[in-house]
Amino acid sequence: MTISKTIAAFVGVALFLISPHVLPEFRLFQVCLIAATAVVVLGQTVVTGFAGQISLAQSAFVALGGYGSTILSTSTGQPFWVTLPVTAVAVGVIGFVLGQATLRVSGHYLALATMAFTAIVQLALIHGDPLTGGAAGMPVPAFEMFGRTFSTGGELFYVILPVFVALFVMTANAMSSRFGRGLTALRQSETAAEAMGLDVLRYKAGAFAASGFLGAIGGGMLALLSTYLDPAQFSITQSVYFLAIAVVGGMLSPVGIVVSSALFVLLPELLQSFQSYLGLVFALLLLGFIVLRPEGISSIARTLVRVKDSSAREVP
Amino acid sequence: MSAPLLSIRDVAVRFGGIVALDGVSLDVAPGSIHAVIGPNGAGKSTLLNAITGLYRPANGAIFLQEKRIDGLAPHLITRMGIARTFQNTELFGDMTTIENVMIGLDRHHAYGLLTAVTHAGTFKRAEAEAREAAAKLLDLVGLSGQMTVAASALPFGNQRRLEIARALAIQPRLLLLDEPAAGLREAEIDDLNAILLRLCRTQGLTILVIDHVMPLVMTISDRISVLNFGRKIAEGEPEQVRREPEVIKAYLGDRAKHALGA
Repeated sequence: MTISKTIAAFVGVALFLISPHVLPEFRLFQVCLIAATAVVVLGQTVVTGFAGQISLAQSAFVALGGYGSTILSTSTGQPFWVTLPVTAVAVGVIGFVLGQATLRVSGHYLALATMAFTAIVQLALIHGDPLTGGAAGMPVPAFEMFGRTFSTGGELFYVILPVFVALFVMTANAMSSRFGRGLTALRQSETAAEAMGLDVLRYKAGAFAASGFLGAIGGGMLALLSTYLDPAQFSITQSVYFLAIAVVGGMLSPVGIVVSSALFVLLPELLQSFQSYLGLVFALLLLGFIVLRPEGISSIARTLVRVKDSSAREVP
Repeated sequence: MSAPLLSIRDVAVRFGGIVALDGVSLDVAPGSIHAVIGPNGAGKSTLLNAITGLYRPANGAIFLQEKRIDGLAPHLITRMGIARTFQNTELFGDMTTIENVMIGLDRHHAYGLLTAVTHAGTFKRAEAEAREAAAKLLDLVGLSGQMTVAASALPFGNQRRLEIARALAIQPRLLLLDEPAAGLREAEIDDLNAILLRLCRTQGLTILVIDHVMPLVMTISDRISVLNFGRKIAEGEPEQVRREPEVIKAYLGDRAKHALGA
């Protein structure tokens, strides 16, 4: 187990060092886009997968992360690598407060409340002209660190990938700790979780805080990649898009989330001649997974392993 | 009688116009097994839910030793040392039996968020300790062979045992059992009796049990209170209660002899 982990880490580091030299700029940009999207959807997974709370606030968190760090950078002159973590912590706090306020309701009502939050944030961005540039949006400053500027996909690759890996490992770790166990428990029975001494509201609000934090970091990364913030990007539809990626990835599997993020980022390119029907393809994908594979891509992998095992056993 | 561990004072619970509990007072002595019996709809489960904070009494007060607990949130009442099981079992079905028990132990083997996201520092030790303590509790209820089975895959009798192990994980002073024998076969009830008696006699745990299965209640209880239509109509030692004409009339009716196992 540890040997295979060491080998995996070794291969990972090797790939990380080699790929900027062999992959074309456009591919590196896509890898960054996948990583940033995966960070956003990891947040969705914590709140919707583990805590079992339907949230359509993810695109609002993404918007707050992108706008927050951009505004903070342009107004204070601090570099992005300082303002993004600060913003993300603040968005985490907003997530916690949002959770405390909305989690007294559940199911459809919670979905509606979080949807309203996304709508409010988008409206505020459109009408907050002096700060946000209003409907026209605003440019994102280039990422600078140690006197170097990272602006192309190939350059941002060195920033985004390590952060993604760190957040991925940390999220996976947290979900396999007592915190993940608590969320898993309250998802199945809030009454029993309370009877075991868990502060259910605090756990759920904590999950919202995590989704806010991850959404904001991912949002900052996406802003750096697109170099321009347009409030039209941060609609409720975008929240549904993140939710769809989470569903297809399998709500409880961080690895599935990464695979699913890749699928959603790369599909538009594969279906270029199909461009206007892309929404339809995503919708069918979502529907197909909900009906046929509610546990997402990760469950397909598990089934394949099982089939392989059983066929291996049949061979004498 | 020494100072009661749990003291229920004149508690009333109403749902709209319906009076589920009407001025019930009850003392549970430390280290004893106290049973509350009564026909369906007598208010037994309501009483239990009022103690654990799921329902807020409209009137009266509930004390755990000197501290008033009515009106507190359920998880705070749990943390003061009151554990419970559920009538229809409320296990975390997708989790393994050992994880179910660890949920209650996590608070006693806690670590911070930073440790959780890095799996560094005290993580391994705290997890191992919680796992070991959970394994001990599973062993106590006779489930040590089923540690990695999903809770929902256990047969019903074992689910009840798992609920008891999980309740013990919070290290309670008072254990509330909501009809622990319902749906169990006679041999399983005997096993359950043995477990409860052992907990009470060797670990000094106080148990309040709600049930209408007589063999369980009559054999293990030190004291029995009888509820009917939300009121307490009798209380005493099992032998006393068994002969109380009011009880026989209100609760046991014509089938008294059979139900009492006499």
